[in-house]
Amino acid sequence: MSDELDEIQAIFFEECTEGLTVAEEGLSAMQNGDTSADTIASVFRAVHSIKGGAGAFGHVALTHFAHSFENLLDAVRGGKIEPTLPLVKVMLIAFDTLSDHVSAATGQADVPEDADMIARLDGILVAGGLSDEDEGLAPAPSAQAPAPDAAKASEPSAEDADPFGFEPVTVDIAQLDGDKGGPADWLVRFVPGNGDLANAGEPLLVVREVETLGGEIIAVDLGDMPGLRDLDTESAYFGWTLRVPGTVEESAIRDCFDFVSPEAVVEITREEGAVAMAAAPELPDVRAQVDPAGDLDQMLSVVQSIAEVTAVASPSPGTDAPRDVGTKYPDKPSEAVSQTIRVDLAKLDMLLNLVGELVIRNSILSDRLSSADQQRVELPELARLTRQIQDNVMSLRAQPIRQAFSRVPRMLRDLGAETGKNINLETIGDTTEVDKGVIEKIGDPLTHMIRNAADHGIESAEERIAAGKSPDGTIRLSAEQKGARIFVRVKDDGRGINREKVFAKAVEKGIVPADAQLSNEEIDQLICAPGFSTADTISNISGRGVGMDVVRSNVEALGGRVEIASVPGEGTTFTMILPLTLAILDGMIVRLAGQRFVLPLAHVIETIQPEPGQVKRTTPNNEVIDMRGEYLPIKRATEIFGLNDDRPIEDSLVVIVESDTAGQVGLVVDTIDDRREVVIKSLDQNLHPIRGLGGATILGDGSIALILDIEALVASPTQTRFSPKGMAA
Amino acid sequence: MSNNDTVADRKIVTFTLGKRIFGIDMTSLIEIREWEEPTPLPNVPPFIKGVTNLRGNVIPVVGLSERLGWEPSAIHPRSCILVVSIAGKQAGFLVDEVTDIVAINSQEVQPAPDVEIGEPSVIAGLVRITARGADGTKSQEGQMVLLLDLDALSLTKHLDLAA
Repeated sequence: MSDELDEIQAIFFEECTEGLTVAEEGLSAMQNGDTSADTIASVFRAVHSIKGGAGAFGHVALTHFAHSFENLLDAVRGGKIEPTLPLVKVMLIAFDTLSDHVSAATGQADVPEDADMIARLDGILVAGGLSDEDEGLAPAPSAQAPAPDAAKASEPSAEDADPFGFEPVTVDIAQLDGDKGGPADWLVRFVPGNGDLANAGEPLLVVREVETLGGEIIAVDLGDMPGLRDLDTESAYFGWTLRVPGTVEESAIRDCFDFVSPEAVVEITREEGAVAMAAAPELPDVRAQVDPAGDLDQMLSVVQSIAEVTAVASPSPGTDAPRDVGTKYPDKPSEAVSQTIRVDLAKLDMLLNLVGELVIRNSILSDRLSSADQQRVELPELARLTRQIQDNVMSLRAQPIRQAFSRVPRMLRDLGAETGKNINLETIGDTTEVDKGVIEKIGDPLTHMIRNAADHGIESAEERIAAGKSPDGTIRLSAEQKGARIFVRVKDDGRGINREKVFAKAVEKGIVPADAQLSNEEIDQLICAPGFSTADTISNISGRGVGMDVVRSNVEALGGRVEIASVPGEGTTFTMILPLTLAILDGMIVRLAGQRFVLPLAHVIETIQPEPGQVKRTTPNNEVIDMRGEYLPIKRATEIFGLNDDRPIEDSLVVIVESDTAGQVGLVVDTIDDRREVVIKSLDQNLHPIRGLGGATILGDGSIALILDIEALVASPTQTRFSPKGMAA
Repeated sequence: MSNNDTVADRKIVTFTLGKRIFGIDMTSLIEIREWEEPTPLPNVPPFIKGVTNLRGNVIPVVGLSERLGWEPSAIHPRSCILVVSIAGKQAGFLVDEVTDIVAINSQEVQPAPDVEIGEPSVIAGLVRITARGADGTKSQEGQMVLLLDLDALSLTKHLDLAA
C-alpha cells in the first residue's frame, strides 16, 4: 500500500518538475515582455497543480508557499496587478523558492526559509502591485506568516482564494459577510464521471468532504441508473444535490472537487440560482484519463454554456470565474495531443539489449543459409524490420536537451545575484533530441561552463560600458545536431580569454616550457589542461576550484570533445561535441595480432599502407611516419596491449587517428575488416573499466570485439602528460 | 557424522579444480555452459581469460584455478563455465568438471582453518558430503568440499587493487 503511495508520489514529483519547467518558461517569457493571458495562465496553472498535488501528499510547507504564490499569480492573471518587469523579477525569485520547496519535499534539500518571501508576495497582493519604494521588504501586516494549515483545502478561510479567479484580496470574513448580508445557501449538484470509480475517484469521499463544510444531501439522482442486466459495477450512476450554508466560501466548496475528473458535473449555485457553472477542475494529468478529442468537444460545450450563463448573470463575487474558465481550457487539449506514458529506463535498456541480440541472431541465421536462400525476400525483409525495431527502440531513449538546459536560468539568476552582473540568457535549439544518458551526463560540464562564462567571461557592468557594450551580459546556450553528433555551445559576449595571462600561468605551472611557441588556439586550450584550473590560478579564468579540465574529461568520457574559441573583447565560445547516443558507435573493425577490435570512426582521419622507408625509428621505442612531409608519431596498439605481433610494418596498415590530447597519431593495425555500427556494451557492468578500451560489442557471429579508446591509447602508457605540441591539431 | 538427523537447508553445486572439490551456493549460480574460448582482454591480470557473450551481456571469464593461486586448468572436453552472480555482477568461472548438486545443512559447515591459498578468506568453510560413486551407491566415507566465498572473489574488488 505504501509502495503504491510512493509510486503515486513519485509521479507527483515528476509532474512537479514538469510544472516547474513550464512555470519557469512562462516567467522567462514574461520577463522578455510576453505578458499575454496564455503565458500568465500557464504559469498560474503550473503553480496551481503543484499546490494541489502537494496538498494531497501532505507537503504543508510547499502547499503553503505555492498558495501565496498562486494568489499573486491569480491577481496578475485577473488583471488586478500589472505584470511589470520588477514584479516578474520578484516572481522569479519566488519561483526559485518554490523550486527549493519541491526539492525539500522530495527530500533532496532542506525546507527553505520562505517567511520573507510569503510576506512579500502577500504584501504585493494587498498593495495591488509593487509599490515604488517597495522592493517588498516591509511585509504587510496582514501577511504575518499564517498558520500552514490555513491552506488546507477543506477549511474555509480568507487565505483560501479561489483558484478560478475569486477576488484574491486578503479580506476578513466578518467584513465579507457584512457586505453580503447573509447570503443564500449554496446548492451543489455533483454527478461523478462515468469512469471515476474505475480511476479510483471515489465520489463518496468527495461528498463526505462537502459534508464537513456543513453540507447535507437533499436529493439523490438515480435517473441514470440502468437496468440490472446493464449495470456495470465499475461505473458511477448516482448524482447528488447538497445544500451548503451560504457563509461558506465558494472556493472552499470548489476545492472539494479539486480532484474529480473533468467528466464529472459539478454545479454550484446560490439557492436562488444566480450562477451555474460546470467545474472542470484541473487534474495533474488529464491526458492519461480522457480521450483528447472527446475532451475537447466536451470542454467547448461547457465553455459555451458558461458564456451563455454569464451573459445573463448579474455580477456577484463569484462571476469572474467563468471568464477564467473560458481562457483556461481552450489551450488544454493542445497539450493533450501527444500522449505520454512513463517507462522505467531499465526496461528500455533491457529491450534494447534484446533487440541487439535479435539483430545478431538474424545475421547468424543469414550466415548459415546458402547464398541462394539469403537472397530470398523473407530474409532481407526480416533484417530490415529488425533494424527498424532497433532504431525505434533507440529513439525511445531520446529526450529533448531542454532537460539539461532547464537548470541554467536558475543558475544564472543565482550567479547574477552573487556577482552583481545582469546576465541575459538566450536559448536556441532546446528541443534537440539526445540520448537520455547523454543528457544526464552533460549536466555537470554545462554547469561548469556556464559558471565560467558568467563569472569570468562576462565583465562587470562598468567594464562593459567602458568597452562600449551593453551593461547586461548575454550568454547564448545552443544545441544542434549535425550528423551523429550534437553540438552544445555556451557563448558569452564577455572579455574573451586573456592569452598573455594564461600563457604566463601555464609556464609558471610548468605545463608548457617558457620558450614554447603556441598559437592562439593552443593557448586557449591550455585552460583545459589538467592542473591548470585549480583554485589558486588566476582569477579571470578559473574559479571555485571548478576546473575546465573537469569539463574536458567528462565530455571525453562520453566520447565527445570540447572546443574553445575566443576573441579578445568579444567573448568566448565553448563547444561540447557529443555523440548522439551512448549506445551505438560507428566503427571500423580492425585486426590487431589477429584479434578483432572496433576503432571508433569519429577519430579516423585516413588510412594508409606504408611504403618501405616511410616509417622511421627515431629512438629505440619511438617511430614516426612521414605523411607528405609531416612527421606523425606512430603507436603500435599491439605493444600497448602486450599482444604478440612481429608483422613487418610494410604488411600492416597505418590508421591516422585524431585525438584531443595528442593530435594526429598513426595507429598500426594488421588489416581492416569492415565498417559498421556497433552496439556498445560497457565492460564495467560486469567487470572493471580497462585502460585503452571503451567497451565491447557483439559482432554478427555472436563473438565479442573490444572497442578501442583512442584517447587513452595514444596517451598511454608513458605520455599521459599534457603535451602542447599535440595541440596543433 | 550425524548428518542423518539434521535437515538439509542449503544446496551447493560441487565442481573440481585439479583433484580438489569445491562448492558454491546454488543461489548464486546462473547457468553452466560449455567451454568456449573467450575474447582475450589486454591489461588484465592473467586469471581473467577474457570476455564472452551471455545473451547480449558481456561477462568476464575467470580461470578460477589461477584466481585461487594454483596452476591454470588445462582445457579438456569436460571443462565448463559456471556463470555466477556476485553482488549484482555476472562472471563465468572456468572449472574442470561440474560434479553434483548436493543438499547440505549449514550447521555442518566448519569454518575454514587458515589455509594458505592466495587469500585465506576466499574459503567460506568446509563441509563433508557423502559422494555418490560411479554406480550410484553412496560411499560412507564422504569427501571434503571447500565452500567458496563468492563475495571475496569479487572481480571488481580484486581489479581495483590490481589497477
